[in-house]
Amino acid sequence: MDEDVIVCRCEEVTLGEIRKAIQEGARSVTGVKRRTRAGMGLCQGRTCEATVARILARELGKKVEEFEPATARPPILPVTFGLLAGEADEENS
Amino acid sequence: MKRTVDVVVVGGGVIGSATAYYLAKEGAEVALVERADVASGTSSSCDGNVLAIDKMPGFDSQMTFKSQQLLEGLQSELGYDFEYRQLGSTLAVEDDEEQVRVARDWVARQSAAGLPMRYIEADDVHADEPLLAPDIVGLVECASDCSLNPMALVYAFVQAARQAGAEICPYMEVRSILRDGAGAVRGVDTSGGMICSPRVVLCAGVWTPGLAATVGVDIPIVPRKGHILVAERTARNGRRKVMEFGYLMAKFGGQEGRRVEPEMEHYGIALVFEPTPHGNFLIGSSRQFVGFDTRCDVRVLQLMARRAIRFFPFIKDVNVIRSYAGLRPYTPDHLPIVSPVNEVPGLYVAAGHEGDGIGLSPITGKLMAEIVTGKPTSIPVEPLRLDRFNQDKK
Repeated sequence: MDEDVIVCRCEEVTLGEIRKAIQEGARSVTGVKRRTRAGMGLCQGRTCEATVARILARELGKKVEEFEPATARPPILPVTFGLLAGEADEENS
Repeated sequence: MKRTVDVVVVGGGVIGSATAYYLAKEGAEVALVERADVASGTSSSCDGNVLAIDKMPGFDSQMTFKSQQLLEGLQSELGYDFEYRQLGSTLAVEDDEEQVRVARDWVARQSAAGLPMRYIEADDVHADEPLLAPDIVGLVECASDCSLNPMALVYAFVQAARQAGAEICPYMEVRSILRDGAGAVRGVDTSGGMICSPRVVLCAGVWTPGLAATVGVDIPIVPRKGHILVAERTARNGRRKVMEFGYLMAKFGGQEGRRVEPEMEHYGIALVFEPTPHGNFLIGSSRQFVGFDTRCDVRVLQLMARRAIRFFPFIKDVNVIRSYAGLRPYTPDHLPIVSPVNEVPGLYVAAGHEGDGIGLSPITGKLMAEIVTGKPTSIPVEPLRLDRFNQDKK
């Protein structure tokens, strides 16, 4: 497959960059993320995470099931700072 | 891999990787042992600031200044882009007589000590940072402050250490430190077998006390949890790093001149705003002693968001895409430990940098290499000695 194909659309990370991260020592979805930013964007890896796991499996000769998703952290969906801060509560009080 | 080396460095975060790099550069045979991936603990759950602005005037700020000077050269020396940017940083001063007085005094003391600091008056505040709230009356600026990508800095040190001959051993856990009949270090027992070495440097941050305990040594480092919020990429963004001046008070435990709700004080919340080169920004900060729990507390995140909006009203419409929390290795006097361990010949500690490990990693790695190889040190290391904590007991 073409090394220039984009795997993480939010952060525009290519297949070539992900392969390079694995060569440098990435052994997990999180390891790839920390080295390339794949999964750090707006969708937080919802689109690319499964693909990154498949690339890891193929490059390292393992099963895709062996790769856990990156650590889940709040918020589950993007939320504005205003909403998080409880702007509405303050205005009503 | 080699089963006998000159030095084993335990911990693949920023301190361990910097230490391995400087040791290898000195010509030592080094093995860096890390239980997971490199940059997977505190060094991947922090921000990337290298700040002299918030250090106590004196040894603390001078040590940071020295580290900043090293860092400038490391960008080309290490040959790996760690997104280094020297834009300076500022502290936002609120409209409070006491806060203004303390801030002006802070600038005077730091400038006298040779740091490139100045006070920006009310009329010029919004020319420096147009997005700040209208009631901010002053800025403390430190021109030498910089920011970088902390994980990339670890990868840079690791790559350069490897090129200088160090052996990097990720996914290998040190179980205990081994001693000979006379009580001196003779190696480490790991999940990958034994490594013989007359010297072991513990660079394991908040996990250092657990390792030192395997040879009965007490290290006064406690995990202090800090949360960070990550914003989406946004067209409107701050120019450079801004913290609230009250952050200094939150850090050192003083109160005067900062008016926040008790709940905010309880979680040690103070604004830290850090734009990244990728077009988004990070928001900190919180400080809590809650053991090794790194789960994000939504209440803390809410209060952090509220505090951030108070200084940067524009962000209320910006999306938060992620949060994370890390464990900062706290010491009782806010200075790291970069020192031999008297009771165990051959054992050394480089840990306890709380929120300054990224910024202090160059000077720490260099000092540790100098101490281990018996060279004169770049700066005095007395204030960093482990035995400073025993003085009351003696």
